[in-house]
Amino acid sequence: MFRFIVRRLLVTVPMVLVVISLTWALIRLAPGNFYEGERKLPASIEKNIRAKYGLDQPVYVQYGHVMGNILRLDFGNSLRYENETVNEILRRTVPVSAAIGVSAYLLALLVGVTMGTVAALKQNSKLDYAAMGLSMLGISVPNFVLGPILVLVFSLSLYWLPPARWGGFPSWNLLLPVLTLSAVYMAYIARLTRAGMLEVLRSDYIRTARAKGLTERQVVMRHALRGGLLPVVSFTGPALAILITGTVVVERIFAMPGLGNYFINANLNRDEPLILGIVAFASILVLVFNLLVDIAYGIIDPRIRY
Amino acid sequence: MTETMTARLLAFVIAAALLAAGCAPPDHRGQFFGQIEPPQGQVLRYISGSEPETLDPQMSTGQPEARLAIALYEGLVEYHPKTMEAIPAVAERWTIDEDAQEFVFFLRRNAKFSNGDPITARDFVYGFRRGLRPALASRVAYLAYDIKYAEAFNNGSAFVRDPGTGRFLLASEAPQTSPDGSQTVAAGVAAPPDEEALFKTELGRGGEDAAPDTPFHKFIHAPERLVVPADAKDREKALKADAKLAALVAGKEFVPVTEEHIGVEAVDDHTLRVTLRQPAPFFLGLLPHQFFRAIHEKTVERFGVNWTKPSNIVSSGTHMLFEHKPYNQVVVVKNPQYWDAAAVRLERIVFYPLEDNTTMMNLYKAGDVDATYNHTVPASWLKSGVRHVKDYMDAPENVSEFYAINTTKPPMNDVRVRKAFNMAVDKAALADYRVVVKPNYTLVPTIFHKYPRPKGDQFDPERAKQLLAEAGYGGADGKFDPKKFPSSEVELNYNTNESNRQIAEFIQAQWKQNLGVTIALRNTEWKTFLPMRSRLEYKGFARSGWVGDYMDPYTYLSLYIVKEGGANGTGWWDAKYVKMLEDANRETDELKRLTMLAKAEEYMLEFQPMLTLVVPATSWMKKPYVKGMYPNPGTLHAWKFVYIEHDRAKWDQGTPDMTTDTLAD
Repeated sequence: MFRFIVRRLLVTVPMVLVVISLTWALIRLAPGNFYEGERKLPASIEKNIRAKYGLDQPVYVQYGHVMGNILRLDFGNSLRYENETVNEILRRTVPVSAAIGVSAYLLALLVGVTMGTVAALKQNSKLDYAAMGLSMLGISVPNFVLGPILVLVFSLSLYWLPPARWGGFPSWNLLLPVLTLSAVYMAYIARLTRAGMLEVLRSDYIRTARAKGLTERQVVMRHALRGGLLPVVSFTGPALAILITGTVVVERIFAMPGLGNYFINANLNRDEPLILGIVAFASILVLVFNLLVDIAYGIIDPRIRY
Repeated sequence: MTETMTARLLAFVIAAALLAAGCAPPDHRGQFFGQIEPPQGQVLRYISGSEPETLDPQMSTGQPEARLAIALYEGLVEYHPKTMEAIPAVAERWTIDEDAQEFVFFLRRNAKFSNGDPITARDFVYGFRRGLRPALASRVAYLAYDIKYAEAFNNGSAFVRDPGTGRFLLASEAPQTSPDGSQTVAAGVAAPPDEEALFKTELGRGGEDAAPDTPFHKFIHAPERLVVPADAKDREKALKADAKLAALVAGKEFVPVTEEHIGVEAVDDHTLRVTLRQPAPFFLGLLPHQFFRAIHEKTVERFGVNWTKPSNIVSSGTHMLFEHKPYNQVVVVKNPQYWDAAAVRLERIVFYPLEDNTTMMNLYKAGDVDATYNHTVPASWLKSGVRHVKDYMDAPENVSEFYAINTTKPPMNDVRVRKAFNMAVDKAALADYRVVVKPNYTLVPTIFHKYPRPKGDQFDPERAKQLLAEAGYGGADGKFDPKKFPSSEVELNYNTNESNRQIAEFIQAQWKQNLGVTIALRNTEWKTFLPMRSRLEYKGFARSGWVGDYMDPYTYLSLYIVKEGGANGTGWWDAKYVKMLEDANRETDELKRLTMLAKAEEYMLEFQPMLTLVVPATSWMKKPYVKGMYPNPGTLHAWKFVYIEHDRAKWDQGTPDMTTDTLAD
């Protein structure tokens, strides 16, 4: 197990570097640049800008410079927001995105697993149909539809909740965005749990457990859920990474100062250091969560050994 | 996620939100939109646009930054709340010499920075020079290029000195490029001009009594010196291209232009003299721009790029920075050191940087913000009645929307074809479709009342078809035959955006209906679109728009004085046109000058390098209790005049009267 983790972590470093290099190349291949706007700049000003940011140097020098800095974990200053370093931006925005993302994740997990389990235990009952119908709705209604509807109802008609903006953690401002964000995940998790549980409940070891005379509660909580949740675990690992790196749509609708907004704008602005920083962060997160998922597999399912 | 996907997604977000909003017509319980409960005390919560790039006034380009800069920094002059013309600020008064080439500003003696340091003419000299430093690489440095030697300093040029006599070569000695583009004999080769005589005529001009003569004044008023690139490699390149110039500067010394050479001088602590390279009557109108506002030298030099952080910043405006949380809020509080602090009523302004229009309107409706910036009301909300509520602000904007035409590629290289396509679009119908915009038949928007605007070609599909037939696309009967027109050689290019797409589709339909030709639409991501347009790598039409830098038609007309690339994007350039503009700017009588500018525009429109479309409306909202905030053509507000009125009887009951420039109280 320990060797497995070390080996995986060692692979992570070169993988992140490859991802960064590819991203860098893509940015450079994309037409346009960070400084140009509606009005074309005079050639002299363009030259000053290119000199200031080292864009007049050979490409390999620039690449070396970028990678050198990144190896020292310094992504430099944003090109768009020049008095902010990428590290500062990440430090400030990740907690915001994480607050929304983790809350949504926990909510989704709690409600989804409960719904799925109940549905599986009462298969083909009204409860099952209701839960699965609801989850089908959750999957079908995208968050950019759900968000405005929630705002319309709770903020603009009832005037109960603020329609947008960050209000710290925890605050009422978080309720609508978290709800909006978690809906889809909730629905997926409910369906995955139900399917997983149905399969497990029919398996031999559950029959054995029942035969042992365990209570239904013990059967479900100790034996069935463990196996039934495996698909959920493999789904939620990467999902959590995505949730923490920010979700563009929800952050935009609710004007949350998270990473998602920056990510989208960094791309639109060709803000190279910021794009690289966020991509590096996101890829590390995805790799780490995938590793955690694999470790969790080993713990949950006694059949899996590394 | 790819960018087109993202753009589509965002468009969809907006569309979906609009759909939702469509179900909720404006609050008919009142005549206003949503909640109207004024905040406690003098606090304004304002949506200012995207997250500001920086709070450094010399490094930012956009309006979102300008809105903050107006609070944090004061300039020599300020925008008039209604007309946006320059009104006194740090400068109490000023004189302009009769050919509009020398501006002398008299600064008030009690102006102070937020740390108590006095604001003097030297601070402005520092600011102007710093903004132009090549190492700072400001994107807006070109705004100051009218100042003598400003461009030469910013682009790294050098004067040329004769090592024998120590005399500097003059610009007039260089081989002149005549208007038709061919080179003529250098004026100065035969006989060097009599410097002394030139000097006297220069000094004999009016307006010289405004401030005492100084050695710098003599230097800056001497005939303009010749400049060549200071960098040896660049210079070699320039000289290679111009053999006559190379011969002229052979064996000479090159003295780099420094910031001390720029035509801005602190005659004393309270007198600032700015000398331009050529007459520019519009220059005063440029000075309220954030680039020219007072910055604190010691702070800027000490903290470098971090000088605008809340812990470091020293400001010069009505307010000072209290808190900056990116993508969340910028809070400014009243600056007690401000010279006219007694007149400043807003104790606190909270700026919300937001990007999604629906979110903005939601916050506005819920009463969480008091006012929004321009173009914040989504089009479908306008149609559903928002423009009839009393807190909706509508006024024509200092903006012109048009499509640039690539005049270098057939069939659009034929002026008849360009004119035909222009005449075949019913702009009044387009304006109706866009709800609050106004049709425009010229490049200059309709906001300059004294400007005797040319008529421009009106909607005339019959004439359009006739022109196309004349251009060689006629059938046997001499009438225009759409099948003969190479419509595959023409495209309507626009940058990916929902409202751009709607306009493009409208124009496409107009041409289909009025000419019978189908022109393909092509959308491109913004940053890809820009170089495509400026390098003329498109065929047919490319969406364009221009936000006036100042309140003068010249800000639009000067788009086409640059020959290649530049802001031009059409490939059209005409020496006579440039000359007409230059002559107009030399004219001292305002009305005569505007007439000359109008003639120039009329001349330019004969070539139709663009398809003129509409003048947008500012289209924003403010609660009735926000007073002193007017729908001016640039939606930039001098915060000094803005306040919260708690007395319901004095609330605004509609768009404030914009026909006079008097400010309501």
